Amino acid sequence: MAGSALKRLMAEYKQLTVNPPEGIIAGPVNEENFFEWEALITGPEGTCFEGGVFQTELKFPTDYPLNPPKMRFKTEMFHPNIYADGRVCISILHAPGDDPMGYESSAERWSPVQSVEKILLSVISMLAEPNDESGANVDASKMWRDDREKFYRIAGELVRKSLSL
Amino acid sequence: MANKDVKPVSMDQEIEQLTGMARDEAILAHQDKIEKEIKESTQLVSEKMPLSVLADEFKSDPVYCQKIDDLLTTHRFIRKTRGDGNCFFRAFGFAYFETLLTDKVELHRFIGIAKKSKEELILLGFPAFTLEDFHDTFMEAVRSIQDKPSLENLVETYCDQGISDYLVVYFRLLTSGELQKRADFYQDFIEGGRTVKEFCSQEVEPMSKESDHIHIIALTNALEVGIRVAYLDRGEGGKVNCHDFYEGCIPQTTLLYRPGHYDILYS
Repeated sequence: MAGSALKRLMAEYKQLTVNPPEGIIAGPVNEENFFEWEALITGPEGTCFEGGVFQTELKFPTDYPLNPPKMRFKTEMFHPNIYADGRVCISILHAPGDDPMGYESSAERWSPVQSVEKILLSVISMLAEPNDESGANVDASKMWRDDREKFYRIAGELVRKSLSL
Repeated sequence: MANKDVKPVSMDQEIEQLTGMARDEAILAHQDKIEKEIKESTQLVSEKMPLSVLADEFKSDPVYCQKIDDLLTTHRFIRKTRGDGNCFFRAFGFAYFETLLTDKVELHRFIGIAKKSKEELILLGFPAFTLEDFHDTFMEAVRSIQDKPSLENLVETYCDQGISDYLVVYFRLLTSGELQKRADFYQDFIEGGRTVKEFCSQEVEPMSKESDHIHIIALTNALEVGIRVAYLDRGEGGKVNCHDFYEGCIPQTTLLYRPGHYDILYS
């Protein structure tokens, strides 16, 4: 069903271009290949990531939207829900079926009526409110819990780095 | 929800040593492996088989054997579906479409419902671009029943993973739509303090999420399609109990339930 996936991705791209949500720019890296996107995410206001512009990549499976894309930060990050290699660990990005991550029951799940926009909005709320129960980065989780000041300092440095200052 | 705080750290380390993967990753990898095995061993929808195949499967289980004997007095054939969490929707969809092959009046009624369902879902807040492909595939499948009513085609459609999954998605959306449309009524059936909308986005819309009574009640009500479910379980009495959905319906097809799975039954 790669044809259906392509059609859907084109529709989503159009939607995001015509009606872009605040703080997000997203689209295919080049229009020859709609299965690899880049998204720029602005750190949410009033959080330690405010002002940063973070570069991410999304890779879509050929059966999208039955299965979700994989998402990775290309900008260096330090966050409880982002692995050291940049992969994002939030519930909406997990393939359907049971998820062993111990997400709260209210957490959003991937379904075919979710979208790139919904994922990116979830990532923005993840930046604003880390979930320290899902330990993609155990050090970051610990620091978020025990030494918030230090966490904020590191986040501040990453924000400056993201702007190449 | 999860008591991550009390989780023994040493187990995580042990898993990591054994598999070279973090705990969550190791679980996911294991799940993938099981899913792959199921995929390779069963078709999405099987051929019609004599019900005796079920007796063979359970021959070492006296409770089930007695109940299968009871079932054999009323039913002779079974069509199995793959146990991938979508089996209710797949079994329901196939069994109902099979009845449409020979029932022109019902087919005509159903085409009407299916056509207008898209607008109703959009009114409920589903973005049009997320629905369109599923609705189109669904309408195409229904129209091909009208144009070329052949069982062979229907089996082929339902065994083509791409199309078959799209049909499952649309049945899931119809179910979600009904639950949300009559949220006041369905709210009382939902456990865990969730709203109907939360329940739909967590338990109905995602693929592979298993169906409960509430899914069945909602879908059969939404389409006004009656089904009978025969329960092959450990309940006492040696008889297979049946239940009709929606309430007071005239069942058009029969599904067989055994804990965690639905197949199709034929008399």
